[in-house]
Amino acid sequence: MIFCKLQQTKKGMENMKECQRLICAVLVLSGGFAARARADGETIAVFTKNQTNPFFQTVRVGADAAAKGLGAKTLHYIPTKPDSIPEQLSQIEDVVVKKPNAIVFTPVDYKAMVPGIEKVNEAGIPVVNITDRSAGGKFLAFVGADDYSLGLDTARYLLKTLGSKGNIVIIEGVKGSLTNVDRVRGFNDALKENPGAKLLASQPGNYQRLQALQVMENLMQSNPQIDGVLAANDAMAVGAIEALDGANRKAQVIGINGTREAVDAIKSGKLLASGDYNGFVQGCVGTMIAIRSLRGQPAVTEIVLKPTIITRDNYQPYDVPLESRTCPSWDEAAKLGTK
Amino acid sequence: MTDLAKQALAPPRSLVSGDALQILYRLLAALLICVVLSFLSDSFLSLGNILNVLRQASLMFFIASGLTLVVLTAGLDLSVGANVALSACLAGTVIQQTGSPTLGVLTGLATGGIIGLLNGMMVTALRIPSFIATYGMLWVLNGLTYWYMAGETIHGFPPGFRQIGSGYLFGLPIPVYLLLIFLAVGTIFAQRTTWGQEIYATGANPVAARLSGIPIARRLLLVYGVSGTMAGMASIVFLARLNSAEADIGESLTLPAIAAVLIGGTSLFGGVGTVFGTFVGALILTLVLNGMNLLSVNASWQPIVTGVIVVLAVWVDMKTRRRTS
Amino acid sequence: MREAITSLPGNPLQRIPGVAVTLVLLVAVFGSVAPGFLSPANITNVLVQSTVLMMLALPMTLIIMTEGLDLSMGAVLTFTSLVVAIVSLATGSMLLGLGAAILAGAVFGTVNGWLVATLGIPPFVATLGTLGTAQGLSLIISDGQSVVGIPHSVRDIYSATVAGVPVPVVIALVSYAAFHILLYHTRFGTYIFALGGNREALKYAGLASNRLLIAVYATGGMMAGVAGLLMTARMNSGHPTAGLGLEFDAIAAVAVGGTSFERGNGWLFGTALGVIAVGVLRNGLNLMALPSSIQVASVGLLVIVALFFDGLRSRS
Repeated sequence: MIFCKLQQTKKGMENMKECQRLICAVLVLSGGFAARARADGETIAVFTKNQTNPFFQTVRVGADAAAKGLGAKTLHYIPTKPDSIPEQLSQIEDVVVKKPNAIVFTPVDYKAMVPGIEKVNEAGIPVVNITDRSAGGKFLAFVGADDYSLGLDTARYLLKTLGSKGNIVIIEGVKGSLTNVDRVRGFNDALKENPGAKLLASQPGNYQRLQALQVMENLMQSNPQIDGVLAANDAMAVGAIEALDGANRKAQVIGINGTREAVDAIKSGKLLASGDYNGFVQGCVGTMIAIRSLRGQPAVTEIVLKPTIITRDNYQPYDVPLESRTCPSWDEAAKLGTK
Repeated sequence: MTDLAKQALAPPRSLVSGDALQILYRLLAALLICVVLSFLSDSFLSLGNILNVLRQASLMFFIASGLTLVVLTAGLDLSVGANVALSACLAGTVIQQTGSPTLGVLTGLATGGIIGLLNGMMVTALRIPSFIATYGMLWVLNGLTYWYMAGETIHGFPPGFRQIGSGYLFGLPIPVYLLLIFLAVGTIFAQRTTWGQEIYATGANPVAARLSGIPIARRLLLVYGVSGTMAGMASIVFLARLNSAEADIGESLTLPAIAAVLIGGTSLFGGVGTVFGTFVGALILTLVLNGMNLLSVNASWQPIVTGVIVVLAVWVDMKTRRRTS
Repeated sequence: MREAITSLPGNPLQRIPGVAVTLVLLVAVFGSVAPGFLSPANITNVLVQSTVLMMLALPMTLIIMTEGLDLSMGAVLTFTSLVVAIVSLATGSMLLGLGAAILAGAVFGTVNGWLVATLGIPPFVATLGTLGTAQGLSLIISDGQSVVGIPHSVRDIYSATVAGVPVPVVIALVSYAAFHILLYHTRFGTYIFALGGNREALKYAGLASNRLLIAVYATGGMMAGVAGLLMTARMNSGHPTAGLGLEFDAIAAVAVGGTSFERGNGWLFGTALGVIAVGVLRNGLNLMALPSSIQVASVGLLVIVALFFDGLRSRS
């Protein structure tokens, strides 16, 4: 505007208005160009644990959807050996060379990956932690679900359905995995609230369908009456259901993750309920936070998704194919957390 | 086949009775395990548990039976687990898309067989050692399966099809009938057909076998093809049993199958072993794992016990075969 | 000693082109297509990332040369890395942790050797048994959890440098040199060649081939112990399943490097090239951010193609 004042002396007031309009136009246009330059091409490196668990596929699809909606790009890093710690460490080191704009990170092991995160911190690449809360390292934010509450609430739902009594078995996930520790703790606390229910056994199924099936078969041998099964994830819940079907026995079964398969099983009445772990939203929101902080937009540092239980009464919104799900808007996302 | 070949192939009397003795020892071992378990656990001898054990042993046996033929030629097939996974995923897709279990079964068998033949070609035509060839194939198959499944699972098959895995006929699980069929077919093939005898000869002494005119390359293609097809067969039963297909179902299948073959008395050096022995080996391994489950033994002990049993079985074999060799 | 090598059947020097060509090709392709591949930081990364595998592949070469195999290395590595973590946590000393790990590895290796040499059990079977034992023991001593809170002295091993070269690479170079001298410049080395190609000659020379064989497997165990330190340093923790399956990578690297499974032909430098080739492949694919499924398939293809060319070579 000072520039225009200088013009004033040369050609009079009308020219000053012209000049101001011109400058405004230039500023708006350059602002527009700048905005477009910012909206394109940020590269977000997304780290997930493996290629085989459908949960992580939902995380990746969510991350892709968020990036696409905001004009950024995702690169996926998945170990070739599922859940391999050394490989994820190598991938982090390789990514630091490549220098993406930001990283969205699920640690294969929440303790062992800390040195890798510290390398990322040293390189100055901003990183968002999703799903499993890392035991160390500096993150822009954490986006995850509350495994303990998911376990607690899903178990409470089953126990309520059974009238707070009955014989219960727990099928655990991978020993030492953070999600497993918290979910099983939730199960056990729910059982403590219901003294009429009796815990017969708690066996590991390693989050695997076949293993859970065989564990369930063995449990049915030693326990003629089982009324409820608390499975730490959906794959194991479905495995347990197959075992029950095969033996012509009935029990209420719950799982956690809210996978496509679980939703179908809830629809058909075979599965009582599933705790919604919502990998899609975690991927969306984690990526959104990463992109927003790159663009200097305000973001949240912690989003712990409120526990939702998918049941026969509310499964409809979950009954859509993964490809057609859309990320929540930022305002919706910021409200999703309990904090 | 030339007279020379026939002479070379005629098994020495002691070897045949040696085989029978090995199988007998193993059956006794299996019986002993059953007796011990029935004392240690009330639920072991229940009908339901016995049927479970038989069914689980069948699943292990399908994979291990084809593998036995490969090991008889002094080879190895490390790709069987990955084979089961890819075959199951493709077969599952076909069943869901076409609604026809028959087409699905054919797809599974064909996929398994083609993979097996590719393994065989790498070993015969490309002269790659079977350990490495099948190891490379394992990775390639996993890559294909991961790419194809893209992290999804295929679930929900027609109830009629699922009977193959979880159904019963006259009180016995259907996989057990399949087990008996393949046990019979496998044993007759290996012990009583010319091809079977040629396979034994190839493993026992490849040079002599070649000199006697046995078409080694074709027999090797055959054994790898059979191993692959049996993996395809196993994939169908897994599909029916689990009512789903996932990319990682094969991860935990290969080593137990190899263990069953070894526990069953088949030698890695080739030429020694039987399909029936593999069945007993699978039975022993399944009984032990079942026992550990029933007794709620910490899962950490399972790999230790499996490893010790394999070594023990082979050691006993060596000690007792020494007399006959 | 060079004369001794060239006089053995199937001269390994004939196979130089195989793995070296593969490596050169990989470097050329990735150098032009993968951004940042040739940067000093990345090259350092590849070398450092390959050290654990190198520590396993070197003794594996010797074992394969004796017509044997060690399937337990990955599980023993996992166990020793836990030993490093637990002992250094309890005593505060990295060296004590390392010592305990080497001891533990030596025990496993000796058991392997005893099973193979004294009891005559096929190496595949014997080491399969040790694999299960080490795997189970790893879960038991760690109760299935990571072991954390270990002293900084352990972790520093991984990030420290000596004259600009990362300590793990130094350790790998020293190990390579040691094995080279062992194999090509000592009597023990000639015995190893003999164990594979000509075991009877040893007996005639009055040497206890049993004890030699046990020593070879014990060396493998001890190297797994040292590698355990590197692994724990890298993760700054001990983990009950971290190293499982690495023995197959080591065996593949040895095979890609030109050592044959039969008749005792061994080429140590080939193994080193094989290990680096695998590391280069993975690193390059990561830099190109190719889908993980393609990475998985590529590893298999590398092994198959390398051995295929090897086969062509030895036939021509």
